[in-house]
Amino acid sequence: MAVDADVVRLRRGDLNALSELITRYQNRLYRYLLRMVRQPAEAEDLFQQTWLRVVEKIRSFDASRNFDAWLFTLARNLAIDHLRRIRPQSLDEPLANSWLSETVATRTSSKDPTPLDRALAAERRTEISEAMAALPMTYREVLTLRFEDEMKIEEIAQVTAAPVSTVKSRLQRSLEQLRYALEVRYPGGTWQ
Amino acid sequence: MSEHDKIRELLPLAAADVLTSAEEKQVAEHLRSCIACSNELGAWRPIASELRRLPTPQPSSWLVQATLARAEAKLAEQAEHDWNRRVIIIVVAFAWLLTIASWPVFHFVSGRLGSLLDSQFSHTWISFAAFTALGWVAGGVAALMLAIRQRGERRLA
Repeated sequence: MAVDADVVRLRRGDLNALSELITRYQNRLYRYLLRMVRQPAEAEDLFQQTWLRVVEKIRSFDASRNFDAWLFTLARNLAIDHLRRIRPQSLDEPLANSWLSETVATRTSSKDPTPLDRALAAERRTEISEAMAALPMTYREVLTLRFEDEMKIEEIAQVTAAPVSTVKSRLQRSLEQLRYALEVRYPGGTWQ
Repeated sequence: MSEHDKIRELLPLAAADVLTSAEEKQVAEHLRSCIACSNELGAWRPIASELRRLPTPQPSSWLVQATLARAEAKLAEQAEHDWNRRVIIIVVAFAWLLTIASWPVFHFVSGRLGSLLDSQFSHTWISFAAFTALGWVAGGVAALMLAIRQRGERRLA
């Protein structure tokens, strides 16, 4: 069933509609929150808070808007409030030591064919994940929304409440920083 | 800034597939004659590709179930809140209707009995008004106390 239909049902208080929406968005939303706050326990708490906020605000949701963007905006606001409260410096500062990739790697499975390919692919992912986790929050956010969620620039602009030009320059800077971080960690392009 | 430098700045965005069609055309034309930029784009592509293939962390089934349970409680709370609001609106409207309707009835009855109650008429009228006002104040205070108690119970829950 379409998202719009579920949203209409949820507005009437239908719990099944909420269940379907959670099922549909659970991976994307959790991943986004984890990329934002980097701590699984905090991401889990924010995941719950986001859905409670959805239930609370669904009546004020403008049906002509994109539900994805609305949902991610709610999650973003909660994550930023949380980071401001818990670790204000984490909004701008890169991470000193990265452990996110371990969490990601332990929770997922690979589909690569051979054991060697699997090992190499896992290593590359670990390297990219570590480098990405060390970037400032705004850069991690734009990278995950563009590459993992495959959102268009206009959608990212909606979620982040920033002009398209700002999102583009943020994306450009985040990629440059990521590449720089990879080259520093793995000189000579050994991570590729 | 030279044309070459401008194009070079666009290369990460080209790897991210976010260029406008005009920018795409501009980059494609430049790449045909610039090996350095072609190589540079070649360096961006694997980064973009790996970012797209990063594994998605999965929330635990416990988390999803817990979220649903909390959301269910929230929905129930909202439904109860809506019901209470509707009931209060109906009760208040009915009370007003009754109050407004009772005045002409009272006036009619007191007029007919006026001859018997004449000396006490104004006193009775004031008593009736005071009684009505007291009833409204008591009702308001009761509603307020009930709301405070419900809020306290929800907080404890």
